[in-house]
Amino acid sequence: MANFWNKLLYHDGRGWWDLPRTQWQDPNPQMEGPFGDGITPIKKAWDFITAASYHHGTPLFYVVIGVILSIITIVEVWAFNWLFLGGLLIPLMLVLSLGKFVLVVGFFMHLKFDRKYYAWIFTACMVIGIGIFVALLLLLEFGHQVQQ
Amino acid sequence: MRFPRIFPRPKSEYGIWSWISTVDHKRIGTLYAVTSFLWFLVGGIEALIMRVQLSQADSTLIDPELFNQLFTMHGTTMVFLVVMPLSAAFFNWLVPLQIGARDVAFPRLNALSYWIFLFGSLFLNFSWFVGDAPNGGWFGYAPNSHVAFNPTHGMTYWVIGLNILGIASIAAGLNFIVTILNMRAPGMTLTKMPVFTWMTFVTSVLIVLALPVLTVALIQLQVDRLYGTHFYNTAAGGDPVLWQHVFWLFGHPEVYILILPAMGIVSEILPVFSRKPLFGYTFLVFAGVAIGFMGWFVWSHHMFTVGLGPAANSAFAISTMAIAIPTGIKIFNWIGTMWGGSIRFTTAMLFAISFIAMFTIGGLSGVMHASVPTDAQQQDTYFVVAHFHYVLFGGAIMAIFGGIYFWWPKATGYMLSEKLGVTNWLLMLIGFNLQFAPQHWLGLDGMPRRIFTYAENMGWENTNMYASAGGFIMALGVLFFIINVIYSARKRVPAGDDPWDGRTLEWSISSPPPHYNFEKIPNVAHRDDWWFTKHPELIAEYYHDEHAGELRAPSGAQFDDDDFAEDEHAEAHASDHHDDDDHGHGIHLPDMSYYPFILAIGLTIIGAGLMTYIPVIIVGVVILLWGLLGWSMEPVNDPAPEGEAHGH
Amino acid sequence: MASASATYEIKNEHGEVINTSTGLSNKKLLMWAFLGSDVMFFGSFIATYLVYRNRSLVGPYPADILEIPITSVSTFVLLMSSLAMVLALSYIQQGRQKLGTFWIFSVVVLGSIFLMFQVYEFNHFAHLGLTPRTNLFGTTFFILTGLHGAHVTLGVLWLMFLGFGSLKGTLRKDNAIDLELAGLYWHFVDIVWIVIFTVIYLISARDVAPPGSPPFVGH
Repeated sequence: MANFWNKLLYHDGRGWWDLPRTQWQDPNPQMEGPFGDGITPIKKAWDFITAASYHHGTPLFYVVIGVILSIITIVEVWAFNWLFLGGLLIPLMLVLSLGKFVLVVGFFMHLKFDRKYYAWIFTACMVIGIGIFVALLLLLEFGHQVQQ
Repeated sequence: MRFPRIFPRPKSEYGIWSWISTVDHKRIGTLYAVTSFLWFLVGGIEALIMRVQLSQADSTLIDPELFNQLFTMHGTTMVFLVVMPLSAAFFNWLVPLQIGARDVAFPRLNALSYWIFLFGSLFLNFSWFVGDAPNGGWFGYAPNSHVAFNPTHGMTYWVIGLNILGIASIAAGLNFIVTILNMRAPGMTLTKMPVFTWMTFVTSVLIVLALPVLTVALIQLQVDRLYGTHFYNTAAGGDPVLWQHVFWLFGHPEVYILILPAMGIVSEILPVFSRKPLFGYTFLVFAGVAIGFMGWFVWSHHMFTVGLGPAANSAFAISTMAIAIPTGIKIFNWIGTMWGGSIRFTTAMLFAISFIAMFTIGGLSGVMHASVPTDAQQQDTYFVVAHFHYVLFGGAIMAIFGGIYFWWPKATGYMLSEKLGVTNWLLMLIGFNLQFAPQHWLGLDGMPRRIFTYAENMGWENTNMYASAGGFIMALGVLFFIINVIYSARKRVPAGDDPWDGRTLEWSISSPPPHYNFEKIPNVAHRDDWWFTKHPELIAEYYHDEHAGELRAPSGAQFDDDDFAEDEHAEAHASDHHDDDDHGHGIHLPDMSYYPFILAIGLTIIGAGLMTYIPVIIVGVVILLWGLLGWSMEPVNDPAPEGEAHGH
Repeated sequence: MASASATYEIKNEHGEVINTSTGLSNKKLLMWAFLGSDVMFFGSFIATYLVYRNRSLVGPYPADILEIPITSVSTFVLLMSSLAMVLALSYIQQGRQKLGTFWIFSVVVLGSIFLMFQVYEFNHFAHLGLTPRTNLFGTTFFILTGLHGAHVTLGVLWLMFLGFGSLKGTLRKDNAIDLELAGLYWHFVDIVWIVIFTVIYLISARDVAPPGSPPFVGH
């Protein structure tokens, strides 16, 4: 059991989260995680379909994302029409839409592949926007009562 | 694909068409400055008429309706047509010079911003001539501004005019964000940028994020007024508080849009005339960024008396008080800059110092409003009027005048008279305090804002008389500024390139700057790079880092020194082949263009059409599309025809 | 759109401008900042819709009007147009001009289909008695979706322009950045619709008359 935890948490005498940060700190960085190199084929496949070196995805990859987006939409409509969730409907719909949102922004708009600068700009605007509009909704919901 | 040209590409460098088709950031800056100064005079005259009316009890000079129109247009003019575009004039003139660039990132977009601003401001003020000027306050509270309570056309002009102006501001804001991030000279990392450029950046971000919120509120009010929808129609269940929320969501960042450029200007003037580097540069910059962020979460302090409930009121009281901290940091840093310096009291410096004093007074009365019970007493009284005039006139306008005196020699090549300048400053300072300091007392005594007159037995006559006299003294001060400009333009005392022993890059080039700004793009090694270039012996005193003098790659750039050398090589190589448009220096500048002007006309006609007939809208759309298509198919630089390559 | 700085632009092999202090293209940075600005624009309208949810004094209410099946088809069309857009950009960037042109015009067609759905929906609702002047729901619904439709229209025009450019060969691998900007705009319009579809349709399509308001009986 102790061995399992050691394997899970440590690698070569140090925590696996303590990976070398840059190639200069360690000329031959060990990219192994707690699962050994079981992850390597997945990572290779990922690199292949996203053509990571080209900084954009391949057409196949985009089609896969498109299919996922369609499936989420179908699930949404299905859940709306045939699942009677009551109070859970709104959170479920928000989570599913957030998924679609992230997929489009991350892959179709290339934020995942592009320089982080763009992601920072967009995220900052989203944070300010969501922050103030949620505050506004809370204020108008609980702040005062309109006398009809 | 070539678009059929109705006009030939403008080439002339003189005459009115050269101004209409200019894309030069310096000329656009001048256009902004002249236009907004004219609006400053208009807004000032509106204020003086109100002061004459209020100087006596039971005055009957103007009727209440005209008074409403005057205070509405005074506020709207001063905020949207004076302080914002005057700041934009400084952005245009200075940002490319301070970061070592030859123009902004999108010169034609820059021209478009100006023309939309000009036509939008004319559209807004056109309402005076149809007799229905806006009369709902610069904040245009709905449902008061809704058609049910305000059936004249005034607020429609206001709504559409402000929407047009908003487009101009957003375009300019986007342009300056890209310019400041992308156009810096080699070596100028973000932490080596002058503070004015930093504040321009924060302001631009605020403009880009805050103006859309106003645009939405205006569109909602516009469709309500024109097409009978129900956003602000209380009879159909519309929320009477929604407009206040949405407007102040925009309105409070707007306050910082007005004051942050002024803070940047002061941060440039103080170190030069104290002959010391800015004290606490990093703190000043981060305080500016913090103000820009926190400014989003304080808006409800304009609405404490609405009845939002104790939880909301407390939260916004706390955030409002918290925003005084970064502001205080700035004030202490400015004082620290002057401390121990060898101060020269030039006109610019006097304006900058009075900015600190006046802004501190205005800031302190602002902190008073942050306390909910106190605010309940002061809401809608002259105390609030005094507060925001101390911030906006004593703050923003004082700093802007200081900036004008400071950079005038750079922009024109000759000095403004210091004697007339000091007179101007003194009259403005005395007049300002005489006008607005008594209004604190008036407000605490209960005199409400936006009333066109008051009864004789209220005991407000003397104080109001002082205030009105102060207004005229201020006007005299502005008159002295105009006299100074005319006098100095005749006298033409040459300024030289660097009259004040300046610190930032704009002082390293000739006055007025050439078309292309920098013959060779400078390499920046330090903050205040030009000053340390002039005084290399001081580097060791201020920089303990022994590598401080080394050239660094631009911030965020991922090429190392070899690539860098290549780039310079490529640039030199490119300039070998582009000596057609080079004014003799191998420098390639964007050509002039009519399309921004055409596009702005189209947009304004659409605005006019919204108020009149649908065919007018169609005409506007056609002109707009013509401008857009022509613009997008017009190359930034025309290829030079054969045989004219050395025509200049 | 096509404004650019002549002072600094040097392009790399992907057609991206590299000679800037951040190494980012001026145009793309402008586009992202503009999209950030548009976030606030649509955010305000969506917030207004949510504020006025369940506050209409008269019918028709969402439950009387909204039809999820039709709108989910148009949502699907818009999602697929986004996919077509990203494929168009991918092919133009690879220099496969014909495929790229095909996908650009696919986006135009799909976007137009979406707009036709919207026109149908608006007409249908007007027929059922919901106009922008009927009640708060009508006001917020029509103005929000109408302005989104205006954005889509602008995008369709822009892409049509670029599509003809691609046909004529003025839009090529080396200035694919122009298409990338249009693509960013198009995807943004798509994510706005994702949010609108969720907020107006999926979350509030079952909203009936709020307490105190009469139920809708039709005209």
